[in-house]
Amino acid sequence: MSASLIELREALLATPLSAIALTLAAYLAALWVVERIGRPSWCPAVLLAALLVAASLWTLSVDVVDYQRGAGWLMLLLGPATVALGVPLYQQLHHIRALWKPLALCLPPAAALASCYSLTLAWVLGASPEVLASLAPKSVTAPIALGIIDELGGSVPLLMGGLLITGVMATLAVSLLAAPLGIRDHRILGFALGINGHAIGTVRAFEMSPAAGAFASLGMSLTGIFTALCLPLAWRLLGL
Amino acid sequence: MALLRGFLWLTGFWLLGETLVVLLGLPVSAGVVGMLLMTGMLMLRVGRLEDIAAASQPLIGLLAMLIMPGVVGVFFVADDFAGQWLAVAVALVGGTLASVLTTLLLMRRFMPPEPSAAAAKETSS
Repeated sequence: MSASLIELREALLATPLSAIALTLAAYLAALWVVERIGRPSWCPAVLLAALLVAASLWTLSVDVVDYQRGAGWLMLLLGPATVALGVPLYQQLHHIRALWKPLALCLPPAAALASCYSLTLAWVLGASPEVLASLAPKSVTAPIALGIIDELGGSVPLLMGGLLITGVMATLAVSLLAAPLGIRDHRILGFALGINGHAIGTVRAFEMSPAAGAFASLGMSLTGIFTALCLPLAWRLLGL
Repeated sequence: MALLRGFLWLTGFWLLGETLVVLLGLPVSAGVVGMLLMTGMLMLRVGRLEDIAAASQPLIGLLAMLIMPGVVGVFFVADDFAGQWLAVAVALVGGTLASVLTTLLLMRRFMPPEPSAAAAKETSS
């Protein structure tokens, strides 16, 4: 009996379909729960889904490396999905044409500082080079950030955790700071959400208004492109 | 079949991006190069936007699910970065607050006042 159960376990672990089914089930369950508790901005569905997967792996005592080997078949789609981001970017181009001057003035310093502030803080507190490399692309949307981390040589799990916290913090910070600074312009709030909070901030911006969402996705794509082009070069020049 | 045609465009552009990255030794990921080429091609009105959008929209909607397996790993690396979690937490929380503040101040300084007619009209075709 137990011999055949072990054989079954081996067979199920050998196919990537188990990992794919677990991923889909956890994600759908997380979406359902998040919808039920009223979509709080501090708990994106990804976080809950990742916790569910981690808990399942731990309960079934499956190695996370085995799981990720199977789920890699799903993550393969990240490549075409990154290319797909070119479509909304093309659809937002009229905003760039109309507002290229303020955007050109704001985007490079904002995107660069998003990375520099955290790097400086982490460096002062004695983080290792690997940790610094993992935190550098923290404001960049995940598919682009994964490409950057390949160049810098950081830790993918740490980067993913950092992306998640950054997205949640940026959403909180924008809602906290908007009133004291007297900013009601949804274009500015959306752009700030996209630059600092990547996909998580963009989702929040679309909940505010379509205009905020459009500027958030613009901010997210431009930050991603700017960081992907500049960060690996800066890293090389700094000799890290 | 629009979905398949669109998916072939996306995969083709990723492969084109990878080709350029390898041949020119670019320090950028193939996806980003592919995305820029895709935007450029759409600006030149080459390729059917309906096909590409038919494959792009569902994929973009799935992005959160696609990165989730990567997030799972963070719960299993606690020991690898022992002693650095304070630095990581301060950097993420403090750094993000500071950068949101900077962005908002910069934008407040440089954005022209909102013209009432420019209520972002989507040009999704």
